[in-house]
Amino acid sequence: MIGRHAWRLAASVVLSLAVASPAAGQVLIRKRVREVPRTGAWEVSAGAVWLAGFDLEDRTAALTRNSTTDTSPFEQFTTTSRLAAATGVQGRLAYYVTRSVAIEAGARYAKPTLAVRITGDAEQAADVTAEEKVSHYVFDGSVVVHLPQLSFASGRAVPFFALGAGYVRELHEGDELVETGTEYHGGAGLKVLSAPGARRSGLRVDVGISSREGGLDLPDRRSTQTFAAVSLLYLF
Amino acid sequence: MRRAAGILVAVAVLVSALPVLGYLKLGSRASTGTVNLKWDDFPIRYFVTNRGVPGVTAQQLQAAVVRAFNTWNGVDTAQTSSQFAGFTQAPPFDDDDMTVLGFLDRPELDRVLGATTFLIDVRTGEIVESDIFFNATFPWSTSSAGQAGSFDLESIALHEIGHLHGLGHSALGETEMRTGGRRVLGAEAVMFPIAFAAGNVADRTLKADDLAGISDIYPTAAFQRDTGSISGRVTKNGTGVLGAHVVAFNPRTGKLVGGFTLSPDGSFVIAGLDPGPHVLRAEPLDDGDLESFFDATFSVDLNFSAKFHDKLAIVPRGGGTRDIEIKVSPK
Repeated sequence: MIGRHAWRLAASVVLSLAVASPAAGQVLIRKRVREVPRTGAWEVSAGAVWLAGFDLEDRTAALTRNSTTDTSPFEQFTTTSRLAAATGVQGRLAYYVTRSVAIEAGARYAKPTLAVRITGDAEQAADVTAEEKVSHYVFDGSVVVHLPQLSFASGRAVPFFALGAGYVRELHEGDELVETGTEYHGGAGLKVLSAPGARRSGLRVDVGISSREGGLDLPDRRSTQTFAAVSLLYLF
Repeated sequence: MRRAAGILVAVAVLVSALPVLGYLKLGSRASTGTVNLKWDDFPIRYFVTNRGVPGVTAQQLQAAVVRAFNTWNGVDTAQTSSQFAGFTQAPPFDDDDMTVLGFLDRPELDRVLGATTFLIDVRTGEIVESDIFFNATFPWSTSSAGQAGSFDLESIALHEIGHLHGLGHSALGETEMRTGGRRVLGAEAVMFPIAFAAGNVADRTLKADDLAGISDIYPTAAFQRDTGSISGRVTKNGTGVLGAHVVAFNPRTGKLVGGFTLSPDGSFVIAGLDPGPHVLRAEPLDDGDLESFFDATFSVDLNFSAKFHDKLAIVPRGGGTRDIEIKVSPK
């Protein structure tokens, strides 16, 4: 209902100005069009997504040192793990519960590389980066709040922000091991719609940050991952 | 068995047995092939020789042995149990249908702290009797914090009782050569054949490699369901490497579990691994005496350099990942 109130406020201001200018001999009413979908509208979008990489656990292959005084471990080698940045695809389906608030379900797929850098071997084994490709899926739900009062380009470009949570499902190479987790995300973006009409297409751009737990990571560890997406949308 | 020399301490198994599969399991040749050594009947009933040594009474020996058995029995992914049957005047190493643990004077074994023998059914590998002796020639202690200059009886008992259950030696350790023999720099398995220095009590706690080994012999249903294995080959110039030590390292948990290549084609199996990606490392078996690991029929290849596999090995839950090839190069 926020969007409807804003529309009425804007319209009344325009009318008041027009009525207050009788000397001109004619009344010019400039009706500002806001590209806010109607309540009950659906929006479907699909596009490309970029996921930033993030660091996983660093570990040392530690042996118990043969000493009664030095309790530090004997380090055989060290690993540094990172899930590399990747591009993927995503699709979303939204339902407008009001003209500015939509609930949205989405799915995302990417295939990042899990890279483990192995260094510092006690017996001088050459440093190696051992890798695997991971199939990364996220199924999420979001609340999307549009901000028509901040629209521009004749009202066709509408900013929005979104908050939500999702289920992370990651398959290791070979698809024999699935690891699952959860994520919470927040982001903002812009929707640029085509000319007015009941059915419109447009472009959607998102950026955001996801706080995730589980999946490839240790169960009790939380990692953050930024993302950006560009999608084509269709409103009906 | 564990041995000592000067500052060095090592252990050896006095058993005519072969390692079976990946790592720690002892085996014996039978007409049908190699069979694993394992107990079929539990609890394992054992006696303790009613003899102490300076610094350790028979009662303290018995208490340390009970603690060591309980440590193995406490592995929640393995099914073992034991029962102290009483003190006996019988020494260990007698074929008397009694499993006996106790001190023996063996001054000629000047590098051996303790050893384990077996009486087995050669057709099935079932362990019928197993005795453990602790060499009374060495200074011993059961002090909870350890005692400088004395070997920790509970640690050595834990190692030998690992053998008693059918475990062989692990190679998860690093050593250096010094005058008089080999010295351990670090180890991550109670079943490493060379003991920590006198006064050290770190080997009272089982490590991931020990847990995987005992659980592989006496698995619970949960262990079989929740862990997995890695199998593959170690090759050099296209041919298999026999006797290579292969270590699986979990980069999320830091757990190390080792295994060996036990056939001429260089094949290995490492079981009891947590699901997830693992780093694999192959190295020559040069951190212990070869006879601590294999019998004389094994022609172990030591002429290659340690190497990491350049792919992560993914361990599935309740299954195995196969066909991994670690290509090593001659030194």
